[in-house]
Amino acid sequence: MAGILDVPKPRINCDMLLQHVNKPVCFLGRVEKVHPTGKTFTVSDGEGKTATVELNEPLDEELSGIVEVIGMVSNKGAIMATTYNILREDRGVPFDLELYNEALKVIHDFPQHYPFEVAASG
Amino acid sequence: MSVTLTEGAIEALHNGLQVDTPVLQLLKKCQITNTSGPPRFRLAMSDGQHSLSSFLLATQLNHLPENNLLVPNCVCILKKTITSTLADGRRVVVVTDMEILQSAEEAGRKIGNPTPYNAESRMSASENLLSSTSVSASPPPAANPGPSYKNNSKVHAPQGSGRGFVEKSPMKFTPTEASPMKFTPTEASPMKFTPTEASPMKYTPKKVSPVKFTPTEASPMKYTPKKVSPVMFSPAEASPMKTSPMKFTPEKVSPMKFSPTKMSPMKYTPKKVSPMKATSASPGSTPKVIPIANLNPYQSKWAVRARVTSKSSIRTWSNSRGDGKLFSFEIVDESGEIRITAFNKEVDSFFSLVEQGKVYYISKATLKPANKQYTTVKHDYEMTLNAHSSIVPCDDSQGIPTVHCDFVPIAELENRHKDAIIDVIGVCKSADDVSRITTKTSREVSKRALSLIDTTGKVVTVTLWGEEAERFDDSGQPVVAIKGARLSDFGGRSLSALFSSTVMVNPDIPEAFRLRAWYDHEGYAADSQSLTETWSVSSASKMNWKALSDVKDEHMGHGEKAEYFSCVATVLYTRKENCLYQACLSADCNKKVIEQQNGRYRCEKCNREFPNFKYRLLLSANLADYGDNQWVTCFQETAEVLLGHSAETLGQLRDTDEAAFAEVFHKVNFTTHIFKNRVKLETYNDECRVKVTVIEVQPVDHREYSRRLLGNIRRLAS
Repeated sequence: MAGILDVPKPRINCDMLLQHVNKPVCFLGRVEKVHPTGKTFTVSDGEGKTATVELNEPLDEELSGIVEVIGMVSNKGAIMATTYNILREDRGVPFDLELYNEALKVIHDFPQHYPFEVAASG
Repeated sequence: MSVTLTEGAIEALHNGLQVDTPVLQLLKKCQITNTSGPPRFRLAMSDGQHSLSSFLLATQLNHLPENNLLVPNCVCILKKTITSTLADGRRVVVVTDMEILQSAEEAGRKIGNPTPYNAESRMSASENLLSSTSVSASPPPAANPGPSYKNNSKVHAPQGSGRGFVEKSPMKFTPTEASPMKFTPTEASPMKFTPTEASPMKYTPKKVSPVKFTPTEASPMKYTPKKVSPVMFSPAEASPMKTSPMKFTPEKVSPMKFSPTKMSPMKYTPKKVSPMKATSASPGSTPKVIPIANLNPYQSKWAVRARVTSKSSIRTWSNSRGDGKLFSFEIVDESGEIRITAFNKEVDSFFSLVEQGKVYYISKATLKPANKQYTTVKHDYEMTLNAHSSIVPCDDSQGIPTVHCDFVPIAELENRHKDAIIDVIGVCKSADDVSRITTKTSREVSKRALSLIDTTGKVVTVTLWGEEAERFDDSGQPVVAIKGARLSDFGGRSLSALFSSTVMVNPDIPEAFRLRAWYDHEGYAADSQSLTETWSVSSASKMNWKALSDVKDEHMGHGEKAEYFSCVATVLYTRKENCLYQACLSADCNKKVIEQQNGRYRCEKCNREFPNFKYRLLLSANLADYGDNQWVTCFQETAEVLLGHSAETLGQLRDTDEAAFAEVFHKVNFTTHIFKNRVKLETYNDECRVKVTVIEVQPVDHREYSRRLLGNIRRLAS
């Protein structure tokens, strides 16, 4: 777990999943459906496409709204989550997922301006 | 398929008898060129038995030959015609409505073996025609304007050989409303008047030697009468000439390129005309009324009955050629609308007489091609009042619409170009209050914004100005119709009432009733989408976003005027020393007061003393963004927003709790806001500095900021 948190994790959406297979990523999306077992759930991104998230342990809380999932992308295009964050909807400005998606596209369109590097100061 | 032509129709039409929608075959068409105005088409039609080439196509049907729908051998049905008689007796049939039944290909060839009917109507007719007196005997029944011709002919009847007739009827011929003979007869100019005959056709070249057309434009009359040339009419004899230059058919010349437009029949020498004028002016003998759509300069005696839809105020001008004044108004009747202008003397005569909304009989004005840049009225011609014009109020306004509008559905407004002049009708859902605005020219103007919604469910904002803004009553959600508003792209799409627009509240027209019914049943609940963005959005979109580095790079504020810009910046430092000052207690006076020996405070501006003062903030702060930093000044209002405390509280805090006071300023550091600023180059004791003042502080709307940044990125990338 510590390993993945030290490494730069590009933010992606569903279109970019397959380019990041076996790499650590950060996926932000809206929870769609939670599997009855609680070990997997689907999320949709700003464009409306869905991806599957798989957990090591079953969920111990109700999941809804927008979550940020950090994990590795499996060969099948699912995200093996190591950790997740729920963005609380009752606080602050509502999160604009479509706007986030637009920003994601900019980041990936101009990698020369948004380099993913390990922090040099470390 | 075979189509039967209406045999005998040619004969009947020529004799002016009524024929019910005859079916005729087109033998030939030719275009008569004009120096100005639309082209005229002359047709030769056959009914299988006879053919006649004196058919003229009314200009509203010009599209038929121009689009090659009307080609020789095609068969058509004439739905409306007007047969009129020229002063010389010739008959002309003007076709005002027709339809193509069979195309030329389908018809194949000339049907039957028509012989030209009434050869006299062509070339050799001269003798007959010229004895015009007989002409008057058979008035063309169908023509509305007909009577005018009739009158004409009657009038000149006695004259016989034309001379006398000169006095009688100057002008009266405009044989057909279609075009005073703009025939360029390819076959034979009917106008072959042998000048020898002193035909009433106005020139008696014999008598008059060198006749010169006074309407100089009528020079196309390349008429070279055998005897005389150049033709010059001496007013005495020739006045009729003046009116219809067309009437000559110099054998040599064809086509008569007269520019009929100039030849406005009205230009007759008043002295001759006077008897005429008198008759037409007297209310008792109102000439036959014709529809506005049929007005054209080639018609001499006409009258229209119409309602005034809009009237402008008197405008004066003065240019190198002198001074003048004018006013204009538009009239409408069932057939259409036309614009009328009155100059100088006529302004005095008619301005007080003409009132908007009233119906009048108008006659004897000058017609000329419309100058489209001055008007949006859809008519080929426009009218100018002259000394002989007559405007008589009419009591019978039955059938005359109150206004003639081409309403555009609000949803369609998006498809129209900016600055287009539009008519619109809608229910006024809401109206802002009247607000007064000072324009850049320091004029104060009232304005009012209304939201109009129509059956398309779309809403648009309409701005009214001046008196109309003040007069407008929005109670009860009235139906508002606006004619001649300008479409602008302000805030998407919005409309603005112009000086020349007409705003009608709850007008008496069918569309208004439909809208009222729709609105009462469904419209009020309809969730409408406005084409004009709300004010807050539109004002935000007009903000001048800059980075702080731009202030120096672009030398902002160096010009004469102060410049305004908005930026997203972070507060780096706020100066707490000298941020408060003691100000004068008088309302609106914020001048610093001096503490005097007696413990009272004196204000220099008000020249008064006060026992007390009020604290006001004058905050110096340093703002920064990615590019640069900038010292700015915040006055009372913005400083209070930034610091989060009122001046009084801070004043007290300063005296009581130093630490808390310092804490207030500390808290502000490194907070990011949207600042709207004013920047100007100011001179202070010989020193010029660019000073920035904060006018407004707003919290950052991240979503809007992100969108803007994304937009900028995309734009820069493309």
